[in-house]
Formats: sequence, C-alpha cells, structure tokens
Amino acid sequence: MFNLRQIFRPSYAQKLFLLATVPLVVSMVMIAVLVAHQSRSFADREIQALEQRMLDAKKEELRNYVTQARNGFYFIYGLAAPDDDEAKERVSQILSAMIYGKDGFFFVYDYDGNNLVSPRQTDYIGRNWSGLTDSQGTPVVDQFIALARQGAGYHEFLWEKPSTGEEAQMVAYVLGLQDWQWAIGTGVFIDDVNASVAAARAEVETRVQRTLYNIGVITFASLMLVFISGMALNIRERRLADAKLKELTQRVFDAQEEERGRVARELHDGISQILVGVRYALDSARRRLSAQQDQRGLEMLDRGITNLSGAIQEVRRISRDLRPGVLDDLGLGPAVKSLTQDFSARTGIDAKFTTVVFRNRLDQESKIALYRIAQEALTNIERHSGATEVSVDLRGHRTGATLRIWDNGRGIPQSKQDESGKGGMGLRNMQERIEQLEGTLTISSGKNGTLIEAIVPLSHLLSPEDTETPKKAAE
Amino acid sequence: MTTPVKIVIVDDHPMVAEGIQAILESYDDIEVLCALKTGREIVEQVDRLNPDVILMDLNMPDIGGLTATEMILESRPDTRILILSMHDSPEYISSALSHGAKGYVLKDVPTDEIKNAIDTVMRGDRYLCTGAQGSLQPADDGQREQLTGREQTVLLQLAQGKSNKEVAIALDISVRTVETHRKNIKRKLGISSTAGLTRYAMEHGVLQGTSARL
Repeated sequence: MFNLRQIFRPSYAQKLFLLATVPLVVSMVMIAVLVAHQSRSFADREIQALEQRMLDAKKEELRNYVTQARNGFYFIYGLAAPDDDEAKERVSQILSAMIYGKDGFFFVYDYDGNNLVSPRQTDYIGRNWSGLTDSQGTPVVDQFIALARQGAGYHEFLWEKPSTGEEAQMVAYVLGLQDWQWAIGTGVFIDDVNASVAAARAEVETRVQRTLYNIGVITFASLMLVFISGMALNIRERRLADAKLKELTQRVFDAQEEERGRVARELHDGISQILVGVRYALDSARRRLSAQQDQRGLEMLDRGITNLSGAIQEVRRISRDLRPGVLDDLGLGPAVKSLTQDFSARTGIDAKFTTVVFRNRLDQESKIALYRIAQEALTNIERHSGATEVSVDLRGHRTGATLRIWDNGRGIPQSKQDESGKGGMGLRNMQERIEQLEGTLTISSGKNGTLIEAIVPLSHLLSPEDTETPKKAAE
Repeated sequence: MTTPVKIVIVDDHPMVAEGIQAILESYDDIEVLCALKTGREIVEQVDRLNPDVILMDLNMPDIGGLTATEMILESRPDTRILILSMHDSPEYISSALSHGAKGYVLKDVPTDEIKNAIDTVMRGDRYLCTGAQGSLQPADDGQREQLTGREQTVLLQLAQGKSNKEVAIALDISVRTVETHRKNIKRKLGISSTAGLTRYAMEHGVLQGTSARL
C-alpha cells in the first residue's frame, strides 16, 4: 500500500481530472445497468403476454376445430350404440379425411391406448400406444385418455412433425366420447410461437445492447471532452506560466541592471565629483600653505590628498564594475572593446576585438544583454578554457546584430552544455538574456575551442531617426 | 604672456567647477570667463564668450560633452576644447579625439596637470593626460577610427540619396561643414564613392530602419 502510494502520487491536475471523470463514469455505468435491467424486464413482460396471447389463440382455434369435427359426425355418434362398429368406422373415415394445413390432422385413441385414426402417420394405426412418452418423458397418449375421461382438455408435448420428421413442441385439444370410450383430438405445432418469442427476445437484446453502446459512446465522448479541455487548460496555464516566468526573468534582469546603473551613476556623478571638488579645495589650500613655508602642514595635506586620490580611484573602480559608463556614454562597441582590453591586460590572454564603426544603433536592452553576455563569456574563458587566444567580434548586418566570441581553449564539456541549469549558470544566463530579446544564442564547442554567437534581431536596432542626436548619457 | 588665456569651464558639478576655477584663477596668465553648467549653454554662448580654451565635462544633463564639442567645432573649428572627465577608459580618449577635442584630462590628476594641459593645447599640440593609470593612450591601435555621432547622422542622410545641400538644410549646418564631414567619413571608412557609402550603410544594417520608406 505504501509502495503503491509512492508509485502513484497524482499531481493536482491529475486529481482534478479524476475528480471530474470518476463520478461521470460511475453514474454512466449505473445508468447503463439500470436502463438494461428495466428494458429487459419490461420486454420480458411484453413477450410473455405475447406468447400467452398467441398460445391462447392457437388453443381457441384447436377447440373450434374439434368442436367443428364433433358437430360433423355427431349425427352418427348420437344415433349409434356404443358397440356399433359400422358407425365407428364411418366416423373414423370422416376424421381421417379432415386433414388441414401442412401438418394438421385429427387423431383418435380408444381408452385402452389403441390408435384408431392417424391420417398423416398411418403406421400408428391399430397399435397400442399406452405408455408413450415424448423425448423428454412427458406422457402423451395416457394424458390424452386422462383428459378424454374428464371430458376435454389441452396437452403440450413434443411430437414429430409429419412434414419434416423433426420433433417440435405441440399443443393438442382432446375431447372424450364417453359412449365409445374414444379420445379424439387435434394438435398444432407451436414452434412458430417459440420462434417469434425468441425473435422478440433477440430484438430486445439488440436494442438493449445498442442503448448500452450509445451510453458507452456518450461516456467516452464526455471523457474525451473533459480530457481535451483539461489538456487545453493545462497547456494554456503552462504557457501563461512560461510567459510570466519570462517576464519575471526580464524584470529581475531589469531591476538588477537598473539598480547597478543607478548606484554606479550615484557613485560616479555624486560621490566622485564631490571628492574631486574636495581635492581641488585641498590643492588650493596647499598652494596657500606652500607660500607660507609651513613644511609640516604641507606634508599632512599631501598625505590627505594622496589618500583622497586613492578613494577617488576606488569609487571609480566600483562604479565601473557595477556598470561601465562606456556602455551608456559611448555605446556597445567601445564598451566591449574596453572589456576585451581589460581582459587581455588582466589575464595575459591574447584578445582581439573587431567591429564595424557604427554605434548607438542598438536599443538599451540589447546593449546591456550583449555586454553582459560578452562579460560572462570572457569570465568563462578565463576560468575554464585554458585558451591562449580570444577574438571578439561585434557587427550590425541586414538581419540584426551579431556578437561572436571565439577562443582556442579546451571547449565546454557536453554535460555542461546539456544541463545548463546545473553546471553552467553562466550559459543559462546568456541563454535567458538573449531569449528575452527573441534572439538566438549558438554555442559550438569542440576540442579546438568554443564559438559563442549571440544574434539580436533587427527589431532591436533603432531606426536612424532615433540616433540622429545620439544620447550621450543624459545625466 | 601678455594677454591671459581666456577659459570657459563647462561642468554641471558646482564643487568641481568652483574648485577648478579657484585653482586656475591663481595663475596670472589665465582668465576664467565663466563656469557654465550644461552643453547647451556653451553651444549657445560660445560666440559671445569667444574663449581660447573650453574645459568640457563629458556627462552633462542636456547635451553631452562630445556632442557639444562637435557642434562648437562645426561653427568654430579653431576652438581648443579640453575634455575634463572622471572616466579613465581609453575609449573615452579616442572618442574625445575623434570628436575633435584637443586634449583629455582626468579630473583627479594633480591640478598642475590641468594648467599644463592648457599650455600644451595653446601651443597647438594635443594633450593626453598621463593619468592615474600611468599612460592613457587612445584606443586606436591600428583600427579604423569610429565615426562620431554627427558623422553617422550625416552618413545616413547621404546614404538616403540626399545632396550636400539637402543634408545641410536638414541638420541646420553649412554646406561646407557637410563637405568636411563627408570627407572625414570617406577617410575613416576608406570608401571613395557615395555609392560605396550607401552600400556600406546597407550592409551594416544602418539603413534597415528606413529602407521601407526609401
């Protein structure tokens, strides 16, 4: 049980799906059972009634035949004495002649069980049939005689059809002629009744099955509807979530860049300038002091000025690390160029930068993204590649702008390229930044080096009108 | 030095402007005409003030130092402009030079250097500050020079098929200036014909934004 839970742990969406479908399926099954049961029992009653009606009609018919026949020979029977063999012979002949239909005939047995009349099955005549049973053990002739002794009655049994020789259900009406101790009667086969009952049952069954089938189809269609709408909802939700995530990523990038830019500007335009102002004031003071020949005062002031210079440089370094002013003031080309040169100076790796001479053509987002990608790529090269040669190329073209960073290092291990989520936060970052711009990032890496190519689509290139007065750092 | 050098300081940071003014005024051969706060102010007042040297900050609210430099030089090509900046990246220096500045001085150098720079440009030489990083060299290193913003604008106009005169009217400058720009662009790009300029602009995506309307 515990294991099962471990294996089957439905997600929220799956639970919702189950919640929607299980009651539907259950109620549909219940409806199906109920409908099947009801229509079957209703049909049963109908069929039984039909059977009864048909049988009743047949029996009525039989009785009429027998009554008719009796009326036909009653003038002989009524006048004859019980032992008038001639009269018996004449009646027998009349009855023998009264064959009808395909299988219809009259039979006569005396109370001892001897067959006297059997026009269709003449080999019965003259033999004693008391004790005759049908194939299922129902007494036949004995029952005739018993009915005849009581006056008249019906009897059902199996009998061989004279026309085909097959055994079939038959119902017979027997009338007793007590004076002669005769049982006369006629029978009809009722297999046609059974056949129509069976046909009716079969029809009911097909109807029930068709209904069940329809219910099944409806259930399936509903399930599919639930499933498809669930899927559609799910896909839409996921798409929304993706879009939101993308937006969030962009906002994180934006917020980070904005914050960095703001702090960098504050440092550069605020603190730095104030410090420089202070420094000029100290310089002026120094001039005055040097006129007064105050050697100790001069030394102290010099130390202060030196320390202040250190502070100014420090602030400048921090500001530039946060957000290079070159990027905002001079554009992406100079910024990447500066980055490449700093990289080369810091690491001793031979790094070349090439570009075409246009600038300020990219919008702010693309500039920042490409700059950060270059930064990230160079950091990776410094840390992992073992490269001795790097080239960075930046250019605009008919379809947008492309930044290419190539190195001759050992390449990026496949595992890192695949699961860029775990291994290379840097690669993932690059990917996300370029995705925000709807551009493409291609990383081709082998034993002989790595080429990273970031392409920003044309939509991020400003039209010439916007660059007529290039924004030279408004603040 | 009989007549003092007339100087205008352009910097939006009052502490910096005042500091420099105080230091420069201590020299007998320098006369500070005034300290302005923005690029627009100097562009508008340069003819009236008629300074020998302009000390120009880079980052300013309305018109930046580089654009202001270019605009001033369009009408007064002989003005000596010294860029005074906190930025120590070589790119700024080469950019300043390509915009026509005569020198580049870091703000946090010893104040003697500022005087030194003024003297140097007055002699007609270029002055590049030795700076905190040691020697700051312009970041040209054999590559083609960058087009200035103004030159890029002119190139775009030319590439759209406009004549010198049309460009001059569009940008509100003289035909002569347009011709100068045109010459500089061709020199910088190493292209001799106007058709070549247009092709270059197309190939590097500069014209895409307007191609639908061309």
